Amino acid sequence: MTIVAMILSIILGTGSLAYGYSQAGMPDPARWCALLGIVWILAHWRKYYWFSGLGLLLTLAAAAYGVWHSFTTIWMLLSALGGLLGWDLSDFAMRLSYASPTDDIRGMERRHLERAGIVAALGFGLALLSLAIHINRLAFEVAVGLVLLAALGLTRLVIGLRKY
Amino acid sequence: MSKSLLLGFITYSLLLAGIASVRGEFIALALPFVVYLLAGFLFAPDKIQLEATRHLSTERTSPNSEIDVTVTVTNRGSHLEEVLLDDVLPADLKVRVGQSRHLIRLPKDSTYTFSYKVTGPRGGYGFEMVKAQINDHLRMTSREVQIEAKGQLFIFPPVMRLRHVAIRPRRTRVYAGSIPARVGGSGTEFFGVREYHLGDPPRAINWRASAHEEDVLYANEFQQERVADVGIILDGRLRMNEFSHGHSLFEYSVQAAAALTDALLTQGNRVGMLVYAAFLRWTVPGYGKIQREKILYSLAHAKPGGSEVFSDLEHLPTRLFPPESQIILVSPLQEDDLMPLVQLRAQGYQILVISPNPVKFELSYLAKNRNVDLAGRVIQMERTLMMQRVQRAGIQVLDWDVSEPFDLVVKRRLSRPPAWLRAVGR
Repeated sequence: MTIVAMILSIILGTGSLAYGYSQAGMPDPARWCALLGIVWILAHWRKYYWFSGLGLLLTLAAAAYGVWHSFTTIWMLLSALGGLLGWDLSDFAMRLSYASPTDDIRGMERRHLERAGIVAALGFGLALLSLAIHINRLAFEVAVGLVLLAALGLTRLVIGLRKY
Repeated sequence: MSKSLLLGFITYSLLLAGIASVRGEFIALALPFVVYLLAGFLFAPDKIQLEATRHLSTERTSPNSEIDVTVTVTNRGSHLEEVLLDDVLPADLKVRVGQSRHLIRLPKDSTYTFSYKVTGPRGGYGFEMVKAQINDHLRMTSREVQIEAKGQLFIFPPVMRLRHVAIRPRRTRVYAGSIPARVGGSGTEFFGVREYHLGDPPRAINWRASAHEEDVLYANEFQQERVADVGIILDGRLRMNEFSHGHSLFEYSVQAAAALTDALLTQGNRVGMLVYAAFLRWTVPGYGKIQREKILYSLAHAKPGGSEVFSDLEHLPTRLFPPESQIILVSPLQEDDLMPLVQLRAQGYQILVISPNPVKFELSYLAKNRNVDLAGRVIQMERTLMMQRVQRAGIQVLDWDVSEPFDLVVKRRLSRPPAWLRAVGR
């Protein structure tokens, strides 16, 4: 179940990326993106679990590049989301490999997929919302200040939660 | 790299890119990562308090038999979504059935029990702890704790039953036993003839000797049988026991020592054990079943080892053994061991050497060819000559080809001959 979800996530991540790039008239990088997905799946199959971190970084770098060059944002966002899920599920699959055959693997898989799905949906929803909402009268300085405030707040929140 | 560090790096990079480029899309790209990061930290367990108990189906067993290990883990802290339990096994023990590692979910105040079967070679093993890796739902936080769950397992060497081991030390103890004491009295074996004393049973009268005198009666005297002090020395020197390709004679020596201990204690003797290896391991002499346990514990822990000090038998602490007692040395024996043995004999000890034959042992696994055969014959001749020199010093030697069962060899060479055979002087 986890493996299927992981493969689908990787396909979603790298496929969206490839589609977004090909839409922007860049067929060669699109092919590279598709190849990345294949290599990622093969690496997991060969138990090179470290590759999932690299796969996530590459996917995200390609998505950021696409955003920078104004490719269709939704595809870039989906590729980042797919990369995140692929990376998470690859790590979860590695942890499951330590389990004994008598352990409740299916239950753990079901619960993890539920939670990862909720987190992904929430993240994707918020991202879509942020793309939809435009505040035209916001000065640049105010925007920078807000982002810095958000980063600071995020840091404080993470530190607080870790202590908790 | 930890997951939180990687996600933190990605999130802040995207935020910075958003600020630098004044593009809201970068912030949108960062949002799924922010949610993931926060969800991970939000559901991290706050209080970890795990307890574990361990139960072994037996604490004493024989090599390669299966032992059930049952571990129960109780969660006294907060709900734990993902716990990877790994029971740390002592080296040399192998899991035969089941698993010692489990990935579980452990709600608050719940317990989880798992069991598996282990097996292993001779030795003393201590179970110390269970490792637990505790992760949140998304493994943003991961903590490793060690839960104490102690247990001890002793795998004793197999003990072969020997019917009787005939030894004749110069000095015996006062208690009745089965070893001829070289003293006249009540017993089964004829010792001599003396004048009849009042109180002697009439059946003790030797009528044939008495017929020679008119007024004097003679009575047969029998040899008293008593218990004795026996010191067993197990030679664990590395250079004596270890051979090429990882073969070792030490296990055979341990088996022989265990069988002799059992037989001699069953006969009622006081037995002590000295393991002579990298260091000395001395079990103070004693009687009975408790002493048998003590010696078997010592043998369970015995390992061959090398040291400069105990590289030869020169430093054998003879004062540990009572004067004129019986010493049994279990050793493959080498040329330079002859002099220390002769010195021991000169001090009045009665010595029996049980020597697992290293030449035949090594030949048993080497490839058969002319060169090996020739070398084997030469070394075997050297060993035979050495054995003869040892015997000439008044030391009893049992050269044991380890391909033969030890009990059969002892029965053939060390058991007491039946009474009728002794009567005819064989």
